[in-house]
Amino acid sequence: MWAIARTELKKTVQDKGLWFWTFVLPIVFIVAFVAIFSGDESTSYKEVVTQIIPGYTIMFAFFIMISMVIVFVKDRERGMVARIASTPLSIHQYFFGKWLPFMIIVLVQITVLFGFGVVVYDLPLGDPFALILLSLALAFIVTGWGMAMAVIVRTENMGIAMTQILALGGALLGGLWMPVEFMPDVVQNISKALPQYWALQGYKEIILSGGGVADIWLHLLILIIAGVAGGVLALVSYPRFLRQSRS
Amino acid sequence: MIKVENISKYYGTLQALNNISFTINEGTCFGLVGPNGAGKSTLMKILSGILLNFDGDIHVRDWKVSKDRLKIKQQIGYIPQEICLEDTLTARDNLILFGNLYGLKGKELQRRMDEVLDQIGLSERVKDKVVTFSGGMKRRLNIGCALLHKPGIVIMDEPTVGIDPQSRNSIFSIIHQLKAEGSTIIYSSHYMEEVEQLCDSIGLIDKGQLMEFGRMEELLEKYAKPSLFIAGESIELGMLQTFGEAEAKGNGYLLNSDEPLLTLEKLVAHCRENSLEPRRLELYHPRLEDIFFNLTGTQLRDA
Ligand SMILES: Nc1ncnc2c1ncn2[C@@H]1O[C@H](COP(=O)(O)OP(=O)(O)OP(=O)(O)O)[C@@H](O)[C@H]1O
Ligand SMILES: [Mg+2]
Repeated sequence: MWAIARTELKKTVQDKGLWFWTFVLPIVFIVAFVAIFSGDESTSYKEVVTQIIPGYTIMFAFFIMISMVIVFVKDRERGMVARIASTPLSIHQYFFGKWLPFMIIVLVQITVLFGFGVVVYDLPLGDPFALILLSLALAFIVTGWGMAMAVIVRTENMGIAMTQILALGGALLGGLWMPVEFMPDVVQNISKALPQYWALQGYKEIILSGGGVADIWLHLLILIIAGVAGGVLALVSYPRFLRQSRS
Repeated sequence: MIKVENISKYYGTLQALNNISFTINEGTCFGLVGPNGAGKSTLMKILSGILLNFDGDIHVRDWKVSKDRLKIKQQIGYIPQEICLEDTLTARDNLILFGNLYGLKGKELQRRMDEVLDQIGLSERVKDKVVTFSGGMKRRLNIGCALLHKPGIVIMDEPTVGIDPQSRNSIFSIIHQLKAEGSTIIYSSHYMEEVEQLCDSIGLIDKGQLMEFGRMEELLEKYAKPSLFIAGESIELGMLQTFGEAEAKGNGYLLNSDEPLLTLEKLVAHCRENSLEPRRLELYHPRLEDIFFNLTGTQLRDA
């Protein structure tokens, strides 16, 4: 399992595309949108950065699903899954070995983007313990859904398209681009069904209202349940993925 | 001993293998020969524990594939038909990955890596990324990754497809070395001459059926009776048929006979009397390729 995880991590670190999507592009977005909205006098600077930095962090965290889809579809198509199946490694060790590096990448991504916010924009952080828990839950749900998507989709393109719908649609409706309060009631109700909403509200609770773990337990719970659901879906679909990969 | 018992395999409704049984002695080289789509890869994947849903069973030493899959996997080095490497990583990274997967670590892994690199002739390129390798080099690394854990049984699925003669020779020398070390080798190919050169026993497979199985000499003795090959402008099939069973082959004719030398004599006399001048007239020893064609009516390679 560690061998798979190490190899996967090494591969991703060398992948320039991933660096771009994970770190460079989000930073560009953050810089651009903070510049645009910090002139707005009706909202405080603190509110603006707390909307934008966690908002875009959440949105771009979802894009990890694309990398996961690509890795799994490639492994399936070039026979790597079959090759691994001929070794004594168990299929579940392979599964977790593939998942772990992406969890790490998303955690690093959150740390870097929040770190950037702190250094450049004086982003307040609030309760560190709550912040870490929420970030773990965020990394867990995006990678959990990523695993599900990666083993379910038939082609890379289908995975990319679906990720974009999830990431962009979720960003729009989940209030990552614009606070949900500004949206019609119908949309606000849809928002509550989206993990993006709960992640952002959680961060706002911690940063703007000085909330602790006790104040975000519901957010954590929802994200973790959604993540577990993704993981279960992935595990349930995994045998079919293996069947397709083995021949 | 590796004993394959009544293996059948379906992909949906397509039967890829039909009730296949044979036995391979350890320390020998077994060649599995058949045209595209015959079921070679399917059988090899079953042997290496990759495909799980099939009928029948396989015994390896005292183990059964249905029960002791893990123990068997540790004894097997499977080299897939496609090249399965992480090509954005170096040769070294790939070897470490596969070594780790078989439980090798630290000094032991390093020692085996050095030995295997020497064996596959890639010591100098170990720090290079696999993308920079030629097809033949990738093939050799593909083989190396399966040898690190010193498997007693090496399963090679068409390891020489699409490579230059030089790489092919170096793969042959790897195989000879493995044979000398006492490994059991299961080798698939649709090149008969390779199998004739390397293997002690062979199985001929077509459309999922094992058409023939046996030691190489036995098979050649059984089927490879010499006949006559005749070619020339004035030579006609009708004339030849008066001497025995004749058929067109290549740009001439093949004349079957139980006593080819005697028939040759008669034929020469006939040609002289009628002033016929054959361009070629010779004894013809069938190759495995012909045996296969006679058995199945299928050419091994697409024409
Ligand atoms: N995953 C699969 N799903 C459905 N049919 C398959 C699958 N894999 C193989 N087959 C079919 O099973 C048959 C045997 O295929 P197999 O790959 O074992 O042949 P092969 O002898 O290795 O051929 P080649 O020389 O082309 O490698 C073929 O008819 C092939 O189309
Ligand atoms: Mg094949």
